[in-house]
Amino acid sequence: MEGLSRSFGETRALNAATLRVRPSEIHSLVGENGSGKSTLIKILSGVLRPDSGTLVWEGEARQLGSPRSAQGMGIATVFQETLIVPEMTVRDNIYLGTDGLFRYGHRKGDEIAGARQALGDLGLDGFDLDRPMWTLSLAERQLTTVARAIIRPWRLLVLDEATSALDAQQRDRLFDYLRLARSQGRSVLFTSHRMDEVLGLADRITVLRQGATVATMGAGEASRRGILGHMSGREAHADPAVVAETGPRRGAAGQQSPQRTVLRVAELTLRAASKPISVEVRAGEILGLAGLEGQGQVGFVECLCGLRRPVDGQVLALGDNGETHIVRSYRGANRLGIRYVPRDRRYEGLFGPLSVFDNFAITLWGDLNWLGVLRRQQARKRFADFSESSRLVSASPSRAISILSGGNQQKVLLGRWIAMRPRVLVLNDPLRGVDHNTKEELYGLFRRLAADGVAIIFLSTEIAELLTLTDQIAVFHEGSLVAMLPTEMSSDTDVVAAMFGGDRHDGSADD
Amino acid sequence: MTSVVSDRARPSVLSAPAVRQILRRNTYAAVPLAMLIVLFIVNAVVQPQFLAQHNWATSMSVLCPTVLTAMAMTLPVLSGNGGIDLSVGPLAGFMTVLISTILVPAGITSPVTVIPVVIVFGLLSGAINGVLVAYVRLPAIIATLGMYLFYDGLGTQVLPQAGGSVPVWLVKLNGSVGPIPAVWIVFAVIALVWTLVSRGSYMRNLLAVGGDERTSYTAGVNVARLRLVTYSMGGLLACLGGLMLTGLIQGGDGTVGPPYTISAITAVALGGISLAGGRGGLLGGALGGGVLFLIQELLTDAHVSVYQVSVVDGIILIGALALNGTVEYLRRRSSASKR
Repeated sequence: MEGLSRSFGETRALNAATLRVRPSEIHSLVGENGSGKSTLIKILSGVLRPDSGTLVWEGEARQLGSPRSAQGMGIATVFQETLIVPEMTVRDNIYLGTDGLFRYGHRKGDEIAGARQALGDLGLDGFDLDRPMWTLSLAERQLTTVARAIIRPWRLLVLDEATSALDAQQRDRLFDYLRLARSQGRSVLFTSHRMDEVLGLADRITVLRQGATVATMGAGEASRRGILGHMSGREAHADPAVVAETGPRRGAAGQQSPQRTVLRVAELTLRAASKPISVEVRAGEILGLAGLEGQGQVGFVECLCGLRRPVDGQVLALGDNGETHIVRSYRGANRLGIRYVPRDRRYEGLFGPLSVFDNFAITLWGDLNWLGVLRRQQARKRFADFSESSRLVSASPSRAISILSGGNQQKVLLGRWIAMRPRVLVLNDPLRGVDHNTKEELYGLFRRLAADGVAIIFLSTEIAELLTLTDQIAVFHEGSLVAMLPTEMSSDTDVVAAMFGGDRHDGSADD
Repeated sequence: MTSVVSDRARPSVLSAPAVRQILRRNTYAAVPLAMLIVLFIVNAVVQPQFLAQHNWATSMSVLCPTVLTAMAMTLPVLSGNGGIDLSVGPLAGFMTVLISTILVPAGITSPVTVIPVVIVFGLLSGAINGVLVAYVRLPAIIATLGMYLFYDGLGTQVLPQAGGSVPVWLVKLNGSVGPIPAVWIVFAVIALVWTLVSRGSYMRNLLAVGGDERTSYTAGVNVARLRLVTYSMGGLLACLGGLMLTGLIQGGDGTVGPPYTISAITAVALGGISLAGGRGGLLGGALGGGVLFLIQELLTDAHVSVYQVSVVDGIILIGALALNGTVEYLRRRSSASKR
């Protein structure tokens, strides 16, 4: 086999990223959330087409029109989501997509033997191939999707977080299989949110940051801290003082005398296997939430505002006089002053033809009415307060909101919730896609809100943002809260290390 | 005892993998099959003439277009993602017009020429639906509603009331061949062809796409082409239904088709087929059509007026969907508790 190399350049999600995988090697692709790992893998598997850039496969420039053509070339992919057809049997799920429209691709006997072999390689010996897929456990489902990939004649196997549901024994079995395949001249590309897997399995490691390749290194020369440093974009031994320069931090000004607790999370269990979480949030505090994609932080936020029921445990809202209410529903949470700003509000929450003021005030009328008659004067006053404090730039509140810039639209949308005078404001990645200046202004707004005694829970995928704005950062990994980092004393690398499941946040003993 | 020996001998036949697979694939059909049997018995008890020899042939030929349009509806529904083909009724209705006022006057009367025309017309019409749904990506309910209106308008334009003439063989197809209703021969041919198709990978692909489109696409199924073929086969079955309908009403009629769309949807629901796709099979549509027919027989026998029948149909449709959901829930719960 000739040397395999492939390079892409794609704007936005992927910005001229380059990746080279050699024959007989296990290559790991690492990066933070949104660094472009998944996009790159989707291009490689034929699901997405790159805007620009080339794919070179075995010395030839190739184009992938569909997943089928990628498989035809010898690239088999296991996707992050466990993709199954629940109603169909295990065997049908494994051999799905190998057929023509009317003709089977394999004889039945060959399918049974092949499926047995593949599942056996993965540690599921003697598995009943006729079971419907939905009766399988999560780990068994995930192994079936791996089996689906390895029964194909592959020369490059792509695994995107394909071990997330497996226990240690199953994972080791899979890794043994991958090492065996490597010795046969085949290649593996994998991503994982567990740093020990990356270091233990990979021959070489490519680090992506903001859609671009920042480093490719051999496993011998890579250290945990070195990789983390590349991912977060700072030198491995970055001094916390350097981090502080990214923006004004909440310092002493915000930290007056200890405030009363407004929200208490008691023994909250997000998933059956994860550890219970107990957290207290005080008035005036800004608590950051961090974690790689799908580690439970979104579920946690949804539990806080009553959108989701935890497996176990409670969320308690504490009133001014110390009275305690259990948050049981979204409406209940709203009544208790917990306001949730969801993620995709940019497209869901905007009424283009309506005026700036109407867009702002639409959530207020539930409170500001007298027997159904709207009290516009009060709403106008709140709008005036808000536009001053957020430095909203708008020709006139009666103009259509669609003429505002994106950043100002975002401000109005946030203002809608802020104007309801929440006690606890829960924000799910509120500043995604917002330009730098607007961000700065909104940081100011959040700080002033906190100073007024609002507790803010701030989920963000940008670590720099969390370090700038928050008092503490709660880091989630596999459905559990793995670290509670005081922002003052933490660096970017500490947060990333915790996101990858590192239990020490000084990280100094690592090499 | 000897029964022990026979019990041992029996599994070698009954548990043959092929038989087991057929049974497993068609478990969804158990409920409609049971309903069919019960309704059959009820009909036989309530109406003494129900089992009479001449009545058999008539009943079967009245039943035939309902069953064929229901089967035509079944395939798009199975393909998932809101798959449905509202045009089956008007398309079948337009077939009666096409045969009796265009083909027959033009001298095309032999089965050797008429049947291929019907088949090609059905495949092409279904292919238009398929292209609109799979490639243009219109919602199926809108695209096929457009085709519904198109054939409805075209049919009533050409032939606003019953008329036209029909080849004799087509009328005979609605009679008896000896003691057997001739319609059974039509069903047998379709069953044979479908058995051949089911031996291949088509059903696996169809149920996979209906069950989880993303999984199927990433696994390498050509989802768009599968949908195109599925809607084409639906169109074909609808046109065969129209062919049989032409023999039944012994002429053409531009207004006769549309009700079959509604009956087909109801039959699909009665056939235990998930309207979300991915679960069921062609047999379900056929059984559902049979169940619906037997219910209507009972209503006719009880002298229920046409308007009230419509009310009952609505109740049946909603009831069937609720029943599907309940059966599915019980099935999942019992399997989950077994683990």
